[in-house]
Amino acid sequence: MERIVQGMGITEVLKVMRKADGYYITNTARDMSQSDYKNRILLHTDLLAAPSREEAGYFSLEITGGASVHVDILRKQVDPFLKLELLREKMPKTMFQTLCRGINLFGYRPYPQNVIRFVVKEFAKYVDVWRVFDFMNHVPNMQAVFEEVQAAGKILEPSICFSTGPEHTNEFYVKKVQAILDVTGQEIILCIKNHGGLGSPKRIGDLVDAILQKYPEMIIHYHGHNTDGNDIGRVVAAAMSGAKIVDASDHAFTGYYGPPPILSVIQTLNEYGRKAVGINEAAIMETSEVLQPERKYYEYFESQIKGFDPTVQIHKLPGGAMGSSLEQAAKGGFLDKMPEILHNELPKVQVELGNYWSVTPGSQILWTTAVSNVQGGERYGNCSGDLKNLLLGKYGPFPFYSPPDWIYEKAFGPDWQTVLERDGGMEAIEDIDLDKERENLADKLCYPPTEQQLVTYLQHPNDAVNFFRFEEKFGKVYVLPPSILFRRGGFKLGETIVYKDHTGKEHIIEMGPTQENEDGSETNVYLNIDHHQRHFVFENAVAQAGEAKAAKLSKKEIEDLAKAGDVRAPFTANICEISVKEGQEVKAGEKLVVLEAMKMQTPVNSEVDGVVVRIVAKVGDAMQPGDELVKVKPAA
Amino acid sequence: MKKKILIANRGEIALRIIRAVQELGHTAVAIYETPDKDALHIRTADEAIWLGDGPRCDYLNIDKVIGVARKVGADAIHPGYGFLAENPDFAKACEDNGIIFIGPPSEVIQALGDKVTARQIMKDAGIPMVPGTDNLSAGDAGIKEAVDFANQYGYPVMLKATAGGGGRGIRRVENEQQLRAELPMARAEAKSAFNNDAVFLEKAVINPKHVEVQIIADKQGNTVHLGSRDCSIQRRNQKLVEIAPSLIKDNALVDLICETAVTAAKASRYVNAGTVEFLVDRDWNFYFMEINTRVQVEHTVTEMVTGIDIVRTQIKLALGKKLAFTQDDVKIRGFAVEMRINAEDPQNNFMPEGGKTVSVYRSPGGYGVRLDGFVYQGFTIPKVYDSLLVKMTVFGFSWNETVDRLLRCLNNFVITGPKTTIPYYVNLVQDPDFKKGDFDTSFIETHPELINYDDQACEGSKLAHLIAEIHYKGENPYAV
Repeated sequence: MERIVQGMGITEVLKVMRKADGYYITNTARDMSQSDYKNRILLHTDLLAAPSREEAGYFSLEITGGASVHVDILRKQVDPFLKLELLREKMPKTMFQTLCRGINLFGYRPYPQNVIRFVVKEFAKYVDVWRVFDFMNHVPNMQAVFEEVQAAGKILEPSICFSTGPEHTNEFYVKKVQAILDVTGQEIILCIKNHGGLGSPKRIGDLVDAILQKYPEMIIHYHGHNTDGNDIGRVVAAAMSGAKIVDASDHAFTGYYGPPPILSVIQTLNEYGRKAVGINEAAIMETSEVLQPERKYYEYFESQIKGFDPTVQIHKLPGGAMGSSLEQAAKGGFLDKMPEILHNELPKVQVELGNYWSVTPGSQILWTTAVSNVQGGERYGNCSGDLKNLLLGKYGPFPFYSPPDWIYEKAFGPDWQTVLERDGGMEAIEDIDLDKERENLADKLCYPPTEQQLVTYLQHPNDAVNFFRFEEKFGKVYVLPPSILFRRGGFKLGETIVYKDHTGKEHIIEMGPTQENEDGSETNVYLNIDHHQRHFVFENAVAQAGEAKAAKLSKKEIEDLAKAGDVRAPFTANICEISVKEGQEVKAGEKLVVLEAMKMQTPVNSEVDGVVVRIVAKVGDAMQPGDELVKVKPAA
Repeated sequence: MKKKILIANRGEIALRIIRAVQELGHTAVAIYETPDKDALHIRTADEAIWLGDGPRCDYLNIDKVIGVARKVGADAIHPGYGFLAENPDFAKACEDNGIIFIGPPSEVIQALGDKVTARQIMKDAGIPMVPGTDNLSAGDAGIKEAVDFANQYGYPVMLKATAGGGGRGIRRVENEQQLRAELPMARAEAKSAFNNDAVFLEKAVINPKHVEVQIIADKQGNTVHLGSRDCSIQRRNQKLVEIAPSLIKDNALVDLICETAVTAAKASRYVNAGTVEFLVDRDWNFYFMEINTRVQVEHTVTEMVTGIDIVRTQIKLALGKKLAFTQDDVKIRGFAVEMRINAEDPQNNFMPEGGKTVSVYRSPGGYGVRLDGFVYQGFTIPKVYDSLLVKMTVFGFSWNETVDRLLRCLNNFVITGPKTTIPYYVNLVQDPDFKKGDFDTSFIETHPELINYDDQACEGSKLAHLIAEIHYKGENPYAV
């Protein structure tokens, strides 16, 4: 039985797999982190697990991609490339796998072709297996990534996204497979991407069977989620029907919405006479023994609601979005509305919007629309910019049927047909000038960026710059364990923390007292660093007791103010773009600001012709409904 | 006989004098203004008298200080440096009230404090001087005198306030147009700063070395020098680093400068400790600059290389004793460097950091290091006085040894709370030119890179910053 190792080309991999008597396992550690821990599992923890994961003999370790690239820089302050380099040092044999959203890369909306190609080229230096999907299953959306992966000599794994419903037939999916093969040629691994963990084991077995009937040589990789608690059943059905690779992860960290435990998969399939190829069970057990003590430090990031959720078959939220959706509901104070949203509104919206695949970024559009429909009072009363783009076909054609006219009317007004004719359909996104972007980044950093820094910047400009500045200030923090980075409630007086920094030098920190200065405006935190006393000063937040918060404006008031040129934030959001400058003339309907909420962007347009007299907010600001954005002086 | 000696000063120099007074078996009386209520000199002195709320005005109030001295029955007053130290009226008031002023007689202070008079004395004694004018006449006549002088000796020239000192009231003038423009301004500034609008002109000596000589004279007419000091490392005419002896390799030249200083002191009938300052140009010409009629901040380096306690000697001489040593007894051995550790942020234009509390204070020790400071852990630096925290004086048998020890001692210092000049000095003592002893008064401005340091640079410290923030916020604000 032959193990697949890093460095093998696609031809050899396919040959070995076709000959193999049994199935292979991908450890989807990334998806486990994303689905059950809001992507917070730290490189520190992955490095602890690296030696035994290396020995376990997986087909691949999915350790990057999806939302993780963004969360790496945004919440874990680790360079996504450095992460791969450091893991590779400890795991020379294991293939590294990513999950790429095609034209949307690792983000939420389409990127220009030259950015896609540049990003894939840089990541392909570290990533061996590329699982690529598009939430509309629109093959052209994946083509640039396909080409770059193949050009880099890496293993391409195009996906068909799977869902359930009357349109989602074997016939439809088999045709999709052909559409993919038409573009990629035969040398691929095909992924059935069951991001919601939908359908019964029988349904999945039937699908694998149908594909193999048509393409008997096809290597099928089944990817599922355990949201309903039944993914082992689906994995087993897939493997029994001939899938050659299945996804699972380490039981020490398995939760509710991510992959099922690897050992359970192996044990179950053993009984059916199917062997896991190349697998070292002792190493799998050892991995979980190493990981087990770390899990408690991640408790804060686990789901707000515990327990399997078989109602996923109704609401179809992907496992990767379960945790973050529930978190938004908890933070937004509408957890009590979840049954209404999940079991009534979301399925309704799903059908209304064409029953496409509920996965990033399409799942966010479905979710925010459903929440807005329930919370906003009027269904489709406040269509996000991304929903409008979806309706206009900017993400690709609807796979089965278009949404009804009345939704278009809600989104674009009575002249919706004109708008659709004028703006509808996919448009090529213009390439951007990479050299100019490199200069822009250099200006911001005050030093020439590396190609990797540019890649990160091109995907998430503001967050990337913040991350680079964070590293300048705090250094490389991946060396710190979750027990430190995720500590809540502070450290104990006299507590000692020992760690090795990025250069390998060991440090010891002893916590000293914390003192406020005389007027309470500052707090001094004393530490002994390597036996030298240091202190850090933090400015205390000033309690604004006397300052009455501006009275909440109603939606109507916000609209009326906008008509007078006083543009306010219509909902809770962060500012991701200011599209105008002070003194600039604008026309009614011209974009002033772009807001981002729940990863969805919505432009705020001018209601009047006039001149921008003042820009109150700046990029990155968090806005509450009614907060001032821009002042436009209406033309006389 | 046990005497009562009042110290009319504050900060490190007050402590320095109190120590000498107490070592001699006399009684030390401190005075203080309210902002100094927690200062160490009060705690160390045998008595401490509150002068008033200040700030600064009470330390400068001759009537108040004399009043306190009379009230406590002080036999003598040591003025330290700054404040009333070089005020002839104060010395005169002491004399008039039968209190011994530990310093030169008031008429000597008067004569040497007036730069033009001083120049006249030196000229008469044949001391080499930078060519210069007398006090310029008022109005257009003065401008003509200035322009004529500058045309004769060439630009640039230095426009100086006669009553100025310590680097204040000096401006460099590059051309005639500037001279005409700045002369009235200099006058107005001198009037408001020193209450004396007299100004004069000197030829500018470009990037000289600042070399000075410690002299000491008894009332019986014996005058000796205690060797040279190099104070070239200055920022905007304020000394930062002082060295004894001068690093000029030509011993004969240094000897000549020292002998000239003695001649200058004798010519001005100098008594007690003083400093004769010279400029040495690039052609090794030296010019008399001025005589400071007080104990200098940097007197410690001379003490280290001669073994002579200058302040103790000052007191003894003032009380009528003869010098206990001759010129031949004075031997210079090794090198000493004083660094003024100031509560200033070098990276923010050396802005003072007054008002901050010293949260940690750990000082270096061991062979060859001497500290003259007045701060302690928990001490809040008053905003209203100067920013000097502690003078670190390091001695070594050779220059190299001294430089090595400087770095070690700076690295052993831990002062947190206010930012200090320490990290700047850490760069400075590692500078190749400094290590070679190759510097003049342009050193600071020609070495702008000394400002480049990051006192939180090391990875361990950066991560500690994050740990401190996680602790302070109760969670990692960057992870949620």
